[in-house]
Amino acid sequence: MKALPYLCFALFAACASAQTESQPPHAAITPDQLAFFEKNIRPVLVEHCYKCHAANATKVRGGLLLDNKQNTLLGGESGHPAITPGDPAASTLYTAMTWEDPDMEMPPKQKLPDDVIANFKRWIEMGAPDPRESKIANPEGGRRQIDMTEGRKHWSFQKPVATPPPAVKTPDWAKTPIDHFILASMETAGLHPVRDADRPTLIRRIAFDLTGLPPTPDQVKAFTEDKSPDAVASVIDLFLDSARFGERWARHWLDVARYAESNGKESNVPYPHAWRYRDYVIESFNKDKSYDQFLKEQLAGDLLLSDGKKDQAEKIIATSFLALGPKGLNNRDRRQFQADLVDEQIDVVSQSMLGLTLACARCHDHKFDPVTQRDYYALAGIFQSSETLYGTPSQQQNNFPSTLIELDPASGQPAAIAKLAPTEVTRLKQEVASLTKASEEATREAMAMRQQGRDNGNVATFLRIRQARDRTASAQADLDLFTSDGTPRTLTMGVLDRPSPINSPLLVRGDINQQSDIIPRGLVEVLCAPDEPRNIAQGSGRLDLAYFIASKDNPLTARVMANRIWLHLMGQAIVPTPDNFGLMGMKPTHPELLDHLALAFMENGWSVKKLIKQIMLSRTYQMSSTYDAANHATDPDNKHRWRMDQRRLDAEAVRDAMLAVSGTLDLYPIDGSPVARVSEGRQGLIQLLTQVNSQPSPHRSIYLPIIRDQIPEFLSVFDFPDASLVNGQRDNTNVPSQSLFLMNNPQAIALADAFATRLNEFEGTPLDRLTHAYHLAFSRAPTPEELTAIRTFWMTFPTKVETGSSKNSQQHKDKAQKLALTTFCQALLASAEFRFLN
Amino acid sequence: MNATPLTRRKVLQTTANGFGYLAFSALAASASAQSAIRNPQSAIAPGPLSPKPPHFPAKAKHIIFLCMQGAPSHVDTFDYKPKLIADAGKSAPSAAGRYGRADLMAPKWEFKQHGKSGLYISSLFPNVAKHADDLCIINSMATDLPAHPQAFTQLHTGTTQFIRPSLGAWTLYGLGTENENLPGFITINPPGNATRTYGSAFLPAIYQGTKLGGNRLPIPQQFARRFGGQEAGMADIKNTRLNPEAQRSQLDLIQKLNQSRKQLDGGVSPEIDGVIESYELAFRMQSEVPNVMDLSKESAATQKLYGIGEGPSDTFGKQCLMARKFVEAGVRFIEITHGNWDHHTNLTAALENNCGQVDQAIAGLLQDLKQRDLLKDTLVVWGGEFGRTPHSQGTDGRDHNNKGFTLWMAGGGVKGGMNYGLTDDYGYEAVHNKMHIHDWHATLLHLMGLDHERLTYRYAGRDFRLTDVHGIVAKEILA
Repeated sequence: MKALPYLCFALFAACASAQTESQPPHAAITPDQLAFFEKNIRPVLVEHCYKCHAANATKVRGGLLLDNKQNTLLGGESGHPAITPGDPAASTLYTAMTWEDPDMEMPPKQKLPDDVIANFKRWIEMGAPDPRESKIANPEGGRRQIDMTEGRKHWSFQKPVATPPPAVKTPDWAKTPIDHFILASMETAGLHPVRDADRPTLIRRIAFDLTGLPPTPDQVKAFTEDKSPDAVASVIDLFLDSARFGERWARHWLDVARYAESNGKESNVPYPHAWRYRDYVIESFNKDKSYDQFLKEQLAGDLLLSDGKKDQAEKIIATSFLALGPKGLNNRDRRQFQADLVDEQIDVVSQSMLGLTLACARCHDHKFDPVTQRDYYALAGIFQSSETLYGTPSQQQNNFPSTLIELDPASGQPAAIAKLAPTEVTRLKQEVASLTKASEEATREAMAMRQQGRDNGNVATFLRIRQARDRTASAQADLDLFTSDGTPRTLTMGVLDRPSPINSPLLVRGDINQQSDIIPRGLVEVLCAPDEPRNIAQGSGRLDLAYFIASKDNPLTARVMANRIWLHLMGQAIVPTPDNFGLMGMKPTHPELLDHLALAFMENGWSVKKLIKQIMLSRTYQMSSTYDAANHATDPDNKHRWRMDQRRLDAEAVRDAMLAVSGTLDLYPIDGSPVARVSEGRQGLIQLLTQVNSQPSPHRSIYLPIIRDQIPEFLSVFDFPDASLVNGQRDNTNVPSQSLFLMNNPQAIALADAFATRLNEFEGTPLDRLTHAYHLAFSRAPTPEELTAIRTFWMTFPTKVETGSSKNSQQHKDKAQKLALTTFCQALLASAEFRFLN
Repeated sequence: MNATPLTRRKVLQTTANGFGYLAFSALAASASAQSAIRNPQSAIAPGPLSPKPPHFPAKAKHIIFLCMQGAPSHVDTFDYKPKLIADAGKSAPSAAGRYGRADLMAPKWEFKQHGKSGLYISSLFPNVAKHADDLCIINSMATDLPAHPQAFTQLHTGTTQFIRPSLGAWTLYGLGTENENLPGFITINPPGNATRTYGSAFLPAIYQGTKLGGNRLPIPQQFARRFGGQEAGMADIKNTRLNPEAQRSQLDLIQKLNQSRKQLDGGVSPEIDGVIESYELAFRMQSEVPNVMDLSKESAATQKLYGIGEGPSDTFGKQCLMARKFVEAGVRFIEITHGNWDHHTNLTAALENNCGQVDQAIAGLLQDLKQRDLLKDTLVVWGGEFGRTPHSQGTDGRDHNNKGFTLWMAGGGVKGGMNYGLTDDYGYEAVHNKMHIHDWHATLLHLMGLDHERLTYRYAGRDFRLTDVHGIVAKEILA
């Protein structure tokens, strides 16, 4: 909230600036300016620059084109604008001319005369008036015109409206307003609610929904015996207050944030610092950070006011959200790379926070939603004006390594790696030195061979040099993780504003070579009131965007999150397409209820925990999942929620529950991530995957390394989503590979063994142990029929199994009994009940 | 356990996409499933994997895609360019060479005409050449970019950039499969870090390819269990501790617990039925999959046909034979990857070596399919992600060429004994009947009875197609 005054200023400035000195780039040029350009600027550009920096150059250097205004403003591969109107210091063209930067002296052979350089300075200071507009057909020509007034009428673009809970025929049933909405629609459809869930079922449901873990037998017992009227509320609070809550709910957000610890795509280099974002999300859910603040931090945490170093560090870490995406690191053209990177950011922001597919408007106006291509490039300018920092060393298939953000050592952030001993620092330095030397030698050798005409294997030579350089870059990156005394530096991914913001040209058909009008940075038109200023006045505009999204005035934000929360608690969302609230998304099944939840969410300070509790306290949530023939005949898909859905546990819950029940779950992983503890670059990835498959982790699944396209098999087999895409709702498949995994996988068998060991240590009769196993796995006692089945198993199994000993020997009987126990334990873990929530 | 009747089976449910339940009734439609017809009530809602009618009648029911990763040279194999031979040693046109000197380089292998059709094929493929009259050689292929990762991705998904479903996944989505005891899309030995070539992206996960063999990373030993080392294997297909009888008694217990849970829930639960059936299927797969993959029961003559046990074509021969067995068993889409075709250097020896590894195996596959009357409904495809330059790179290599290259198809619904399209005189660029990857995808789907414009999936607010907004079916090659 502290940053709000700034925003007001920004919006005010947006209105005021249109007439002032910060002229839009396409403003008219005065005759004097034109004369100055034609006399002093254009001839110099043509004579000294166009040879390497024009579209018709034999070879364009550095991706920089200086032959029209748009390209000159955009800049080349460096990512910096060649000209920033009004600011010579922020104009790389000018810096290069002055030969002040030894790495960039242009023109390369001969410095231009001082008076020519002075003319460029003057020209930039006057706003770089440039008549060389690119000749591109008007992109507006012949296309469908989007009618914004009509567009704003779509249900989700209108603000939520409060509706009084409807009257119902059986008011006694309804406990909360939610129940009124649900029951009313049920009654209209001629359905009736089924009975309430029993206490053991209910606590198992609550425990898994809130923590992703089963309740302990003691918790079940206490809850079943608690006759107080607020027993349910207390048990909800118990789990909401548990640190396990954040580990569960963070994962839901990580799905939509397409969180991963590597780049994926063609150049799958690790992101060794991504885990900071994961921990930030866990912490945010545990603290019940208000959701609007949570969003603001992820979009613009670096620009928000902060309360001390720790708070500031956390807010910067939050912006990793924008930096985590899969990137085309092996691209060759920086402009294409940058355009794709921004596209990915627009996609993830719009789908995850707004439930909109704004990235569809990259090449043309959105086909379905009232979103124009101008809207897209207005947003693109915001992200182009920010620098995305994600690390990764330079290597083959990675043409765009970047730096990271270094946080204050006193910001209290944990480190994933230990401090290095001085000898280790020395060793690393020596390694870098010797690798550098080796790579220089390889280069020299190749040059020498080429000069002597002995070169007959260009590519092999190239690869050898490349590999030597890659090893050097990896080692240097390893060394860069530490300060000179061996203390790990506190590094994070994230975004920062560029020194001077840039507006993006509209790209016809999304083609970087077809630049059209420069579009001022701005917000999405259809979500703004008709007369509301949308353009960004200063800075990148991320802060404006953050306040625009995380706002009570935004019709989508609260609805989208309320819908996600409902989905995770109920199994079906009110809007069945949780990442698409546009015209092609599905309509809400209970629109008034959705608005009720969204409004309550905002009124309660955007508290996720409060909304969860509100839903859990409804009778709708507390119903059983039992079958009812009459209801089922009318509504087989349970759209009207006449019962609780029978839900499948997701991958993490299955794995975590197996670890918990077998007694091997370790709740306290070491800080960081395994990804942070291997080398930088591709070599690290190889080390890591070796390690992951050979040493199963005892920690909760959220702490497993999430490498794109290399998801741990325990998770991928149970429908873990593609970590490169926004995913608001997971697949729910039931394929034989899951059965094969539970029957045959060594990890599954090892957990069954551990479960058996745990039971063996339990005091009591065999029946006591069996009952205990049931309580651990299913939170209930076995039925008589189940006991019979288990007895049958116990009698037949030992006669079938081979133990290597003669079937009648005592040895065989002992071994067979032992194997029977572990096989029985595996059967419990493999059964449908273990994987389902009732 | 083999007596388990195939009654109403609901194996699979994807609630996320509302596909309903997988009906085992689907098995009734399969030629290889015999006992399924016992229960006529099994005709319940079709599931995502059950056979679906094509958009129009088609001859091809299965695809075997022999994918040559690295981009094989077309001018040395299937694209005969007499002018290239005549002008060898002359400077290549314009700025074609990226690395200094660039001279046109003649193939080192003789091209001869083969079969009644007289198709030109070089001496690198003496055995495939015997099947010339079955081949439809497309000489005018083109793809967007001359870079391996992008082009390999485009070959499989149509896009160089986005994460999209693979060709096999689209096919399975469109047609389902004929034997639900086996996966419908199997990819053998896929290259490392290329999950997108058999992924399902936004299509339901059930349509993704099942991988057999293939190391994802150059670290073989640690992954030996998962990937079976050099041998193709399916994950978790075998229990290391229990024999089938003992495991069956465990499974009986699991199923009794599942039944019990279902009773507690009111006696009706499609969800739990799904789990029950999934276990039965998995249990059957444990015996069926190794059977299909067991090549030892094939006759010595058959093995010889594929070059198994005879040096260079042994490995690829086994994979081709396995592909035939999968086709017989009803698998819809089988892809086999053969790597290392990226011959920038040492082309003479390396290309000859590679062809030696696949030639006999491919010829054996074509002959075997034909003699079993399977070729008529199986489309065999051979090709890579692009081709190579007519000029030399260094003294003995060729560089990437995306503007013109060759791919051939044989069998199911395609005309044999023909060349389609042309490159220029040297083989640089497709100049006649150009077939972009999108067009090839459209044609391939057409051969399977699918209209590429109607095979759509709604995701993130719009209908997606394999061919995006492109794709023209090459009608001339349809039989």
